[in-house]
Amino acid sequence: MHIPDGFLDTKTIVATSILSVSALGISLHRLKKQILPHQIPLVGLAAAFVFVAQMLNFPVIGGTSGHIIGSVLAAVLLGPNAAILIMTTVLVVQCFLFADGGVLSLGANILNMGIIGTLVGYSIYRSLARLIPTDRGRLVAIAFASWCSTVLASIFCAGELVWSGIASWQIAFPAMANIHMLIGIGEALITTIVFTAILKTKPEFLHQSFTVNLSLTSREIIIYGAIVIMGLLIFVSPFISELPDGLETVAHQIGFDRNAVGQPLFPSPLADYQLPGMSIPAVATIFVGFIGAVIVFGGSFLLARFLIPNKK
Amino acid sequence: MRHDFIDRYSRIESPVHQLSTGFKVSAAIILILCTILLPIHSYGYFILISICLIGVSIISRIPAKYLLSRLIILEPFVLGVSILSLFQPKGEIIFVTILVKSSICLYTIILLTNTTPFSKILDWLKVIHIPSLFVTILALMYRYIFVLIDDAERMERARASRSFSTNKRQIWKIRAMMIGQIFIRSIERADRIYSAMRARGWK
Amino acid sequence: MSSAIEVKNLQYEYHDGTKALRGISFNIAEGECVGVIGPNGAGKSTLLLHLNGILPAASKVDQSVKVMGQEITNESRGIIHQMVGLLFQNPDDQLFCPTVFEDVAFGPQQFGKSPEDINQIVFDALEHVGLAGYEHRSPHHLSGGEKQRVCLAGVLACKPKVLVLDEPTKDLDPRGKRELKSLLQSIPSTKIIASHDLELIVELCPRTIVLDKGELIADGFTVDLLRNGELMLTHGLEIPHCLRHLHPHN
Repeated sequence: MHIPDGFLDTKTIVATSILSVSALGISLHRLKKQILPHQIPLVGLAAAFVFVAQMLNFPVIGGTSGHIIGSVLAAVLLGPNAAILIMTTVLVVQCFLFADGGVLSLGANILNMGIIGTLVGYSIYRSLARLIPTDRGRLVAIAFASWCSTVLASIFCAGELVWSGIASWQIAFPAMANIHMLIGIGEALITTIVFTAILKTKPEFLHQSFTVNLSLTSREIIIYGAIVIMGLLIFVSPFISELPDGLETVAHQIGFDRNAVGQPLFPSPLADYQLPGMSIPAVATIFVGFIGAVIVFGGSFLLARFLIPNKK
Repeated sequence: MRHDFIDRYSRIESPVHQLSTGFKVSAAIILILCTILLPIHSYGYFILISICLIGVSIISRIPAKYLLSRLIILEPFVLGVSILSLFQPKGEIIFVTILVKSSICLYTIILLTNTTPFSKILDWLKVIHIPSLFVTILALMYRYIFVLIDDAERMERARASRSFSTNKRQIWKIRAMMIGQIFIRSIERADRIYSAMRARGWK
Repeated sequence: MSSAIEVKNLQYEYHDGTKALRGISFNIAEGECVGVIGPNGAGKSTLLLHLNGILPAASKVDQSVKVMGQEITNESRGIIHQMVGLLFQNPDDQLFCPTVFEDVAFGPQQFGKSPEDINQIVFDALEHVGLAGYEHRSPHHLSGGEKQRVCLAGVLACKPKVLVLDEPTKDLDPRGKRELKSLLQSIPSTKIIASHDLELIVELCPRTIVLDKGELIADGFTVDLLRNGELMLTHGLEIPHCLRHLHPHN
């Protein structure tokens, strides 16, 4: 998901940079005030850890392999402020040492993976984990949050590419979102297993007092929230505005088909899905997204059950 | 493990290596900015800039084979994203534009990273008043990436010497457990580093 | 002669309740070189961390650690860090800066030296350990022996009065060991060396302290203690080869 240089135009570069720098500024400001001396090497090592975790490859289909992004992992382990800083340093090193991701696209890459992925993932994790306050609940929350954060980051990525005028919504959005709905499953699986491994071997590391201030103040929530919403407005809303047209077309087609051919009253859901899927991939992607989210959410429960079995 | 596979030539001697870090980074950023801003039909500029970059590579005494191999390794990422642009009106032109532009940008960064050690970039970040907390974390991270990679490699070897199955599910589980292990070890190491820092008078 | 280190009834308990040190007392005179030996988990590293003031200061009334006559308290800790140079077991933990120069300069910087002084100090320290010209290398490009010597340079740059070394020869090849040994011999300050490398202790330290399970078992001449087969065996140690050959009938 690292955008190289040459893809984004000036306005996108400026917009993403402003959003990233302001979010990073808040996280640094807060950390500087609150960080204890012993947590500085801790955050540095955690950043190196995320970097190395990203280097470990997981075999997928055929000869291909993937790796995790780790933004939710970092946020869950060390809190959202530290996670933003950690993900940013990871991306900076990848850019200046590995030439992975562009220099001027750094703002966009930090926004997608370091800020949106972290903040949205973390808030989903926090609210779900509060609903189900058990270890198993935490795993469910982590799995679902990882998936959502990966998918949302990819949608932002698509939005930036579209805004730069190098691809159309109809292509970029389904391509990025659909692929990352699958990749997100991997992210969810790995993040959850990693968390379970830590939970089982060194539970004291997950103790509240150990980590770098997990909670956000209400002021931070407002500012971070504003940054996320600004991002959504700029990069995702153009698509939303196109949505009614798309839906109308789909509805029209379904209706038209039913009337014309006289299909049964209850057509199989698959047929319903296939039809718009063929004509308007972007709308289909949204449907797939909702279905995917439900499936992943259910799957998270199974995964949590599998990782922390009932004690006999 | 050899850790210099990424920036192997960043520490050799050449007129380019001797230039100040600030100059090199700014030059690279300006060059990338110009490349992005210029329309595709300014062929002259692209040819000129390519000649310049080739000139700099020759002066830098970095083997051309190495630079090209780095470019080829990273090119698939560019290709992967740019394919998206093919599926729209006039897509071919946009596709070629992006390919040319991002290859130039990519080559610029490869040249920059191979003529400037990362520690020099860290020094430069301090000079331009990037918040010290950020630079400290970045420096610590850069230092320990290689230590953790070694750690991970040792764990991987230890695992490989004891297991015989290459079942995909198994690999997933083992790798994920490994990431957990690396985290635990990093946290423990952070504690020892803190002791070492304090022993030499830190805070 | 005044004592460099004075430890009185030192006790220490980890958070989980394990007693690492159970009332240890000893004195070390200025200029002495003392070995600390004992099996794994004897409390050697814990003791060394106390000498530099890294672990919390003594909480009980009757126990104290004094360095050059100054008791370690929360206030004196800064001065203690400067007086006692501590070399840790794993050089990777101690070399936390991106370049050799920054690492050696770290201590002097913390102690408020001027940039010109720091340049000179770093140059001298690196020259002392035989690594002049390594300033701009990165730690991950160094060999194990080189890393250990950079660590030592970093400690020497703080100009300590007492040098405390935890397993200095661990992970070193024979050449690295030899070089480190002669390097240590060239440093005149008070030295305390904890190690499993008994040959090293015999060569460098006239006096040795034996620890086991947090207690001080013996304190005396190295050659006498390390030749005592019974003492060595009961505490997970053994008579080093160099001493065995002196007494073939032992």
